[in-house]
Amino acid sequence: MKLWKLLPVLLLSTPLACLTQGEIEEADVYKTPYAERMKMAEDKFYAAQKEGKTVTGVIVEGNTLFNNTIEPQNKPYKQPYTQEEYDAVAISAERNSKLFILTEDGTLYYPTPPQGQLVSESEQAHRIDRVLTEEQKKGPKMFTWATLVPLIGREVEVSGEIFPGYSGVKGINIEAIQFEGLYIVGQSEESV
Amino acid sequence: MAAKKTITIKSIFYTAVSFTWIFGLAAIAHIVMVLIEKHNPVIKYDYAWGCAIIGFLTIYMTRWCKRDGWQSFWGVLGGLGLWFAWEYSLMYGGHRMGVTYTFNGSYPEYRIMKWSFMAFLMVFTYLLYQESARCNFIYFLRRKLKLMRGVVATGKIDNYGPRTAFEYIMITWAGYVLLMIAYDDQIFGPESWFCYALFFVSFSVFFYLIYKLLGYDKFGANLRYAIPTVTVLWNDVEILAKWGMLKEPWVHINWKIMSVIIAGFAISTYLIIKDLRRKKEGMIESKDIV
Repeated sequence: MKLWKLLPVLLLSTPLACLTQGEIEEADVYKTPYAERMKMAEDKFYAAQKEGKTVTGVIVEGNTLFNNTIEPQNKPYKQPYTQEEYDAVAISAERNSKLFILTEDGTLYYPTPPQGQLVSESEQAHRIDRVLTEEQKKGPKMFTWATLVPLIGREVEVSGEIFPGYSGVKGINIEAIQFEGLYIVGQSEESV
Repeated sequence: MAAKKTITIKSIFYTAVSFTWIFGLAAIAHIVMVLIEKHNPVIKYDYAWGCAIIGFLTIYMTRWCKRDGWQSFWGVLGGLGLWFAWEYSLMYGGHRMGVTYTFNGSYPEYRIMKWSFMAFLMVFTYLLYQESARCNFIYFLRRKLKLMRGVVATGKIDNYGPRTAFEYIMITWAGYVLLMIAYDDQIFGPESWFCYALFFVSFSVFFYLIYKLLGYDKFGANLRYAIPTVTVLWNDVEILAKWGMLKEPWVHINWKIMSVIIAGFAISTYLIIKDLRRKKEGMIESKDIV
């Protein structure tokens, strides 16, 4: 019984079986080198910006907005929260309460996965390609991705597909994001 | 318990090599994860499976290593493989459950890991009373708290491979749990007294551990003792990065610094292997501790 020697081969071949069809399709995206991918995202973002198809607004927290506990829509734009409110909504956001983008004209956008995707995760849980401004590119290296939670209460500009949504709240599948300052305030930036 | 040690040129050399090797390994492990996430995150879970399998097989393989030096060397690598798999499994869990990043930047997998602190305490409680555990910190607790009915430690040690792997996992686990609790703004926070205390205690303990490490002039014991030494220093590296005072080259992908670290790792690997191949002495004898 020397079949046990096949065990390592069997075990090592297991990962190949783990690639599902979805992963294989996703893998195609990563055949493009990282720098090229980032350049494509940047070009797409600036093209959308030129056509006026980007959305600019502040990130607001949904629970306190929809139960009328906090009214960021009635506060000065770019100052949606007091410090006390910010401390509370930041905790809620990292506990996965839903985040929205509130534009200056009062339109609310709900970040969504791409149209047609049935099974999805919270849009707050994954990284979004970050487009750096010209000024940011000249400075120290910065994060080239961002997630929404650390950006709560801050102004962002996003590009992506916009959906009519429901009852006045629009949907947006965010493809790229741009914002001033550090991703995590007070911490060193990364170049990843 | 280790016999009385004297610091010699030889022990300084062994310490420098062991420290460089363990530190380099940790830095390389970090940059590998960062590069996978950056260039091809799709492969990460397959990579994790690979690490788990190779890690397990490496530990299994140590049953054929007669010397504690080789066992420790492979044990560290096996432990690292399993640790990689554990981190990626938490990443996968975070993805499945939609766990977000925190507003101070902590990653989902480490947020989940933080809440394994009770599991850590349960395992640690077992180790605290496991007679063959040879950890100096556990000895200290046993003596001071009078935990044992009989001798502080007993039993001959033959399997340094799995023990080293387990030591690597436990110490790394402890480091992460401590850091994540320190970073949690709802418990302490990066600017809290706890985080500052952790920084300064780690800084002080690091020098004590280095002093102790200098007493080991064999790669077996030296490699094993370098694990907590590097991990305690790593706490400070992580906290400095959290405070924005340090840019970790393995996270920022600073190839100039990483080249030096990788070169140091390669040279130390060569020196360890060369030394272990040359040595002919057998297993070290572990006597009962009373």
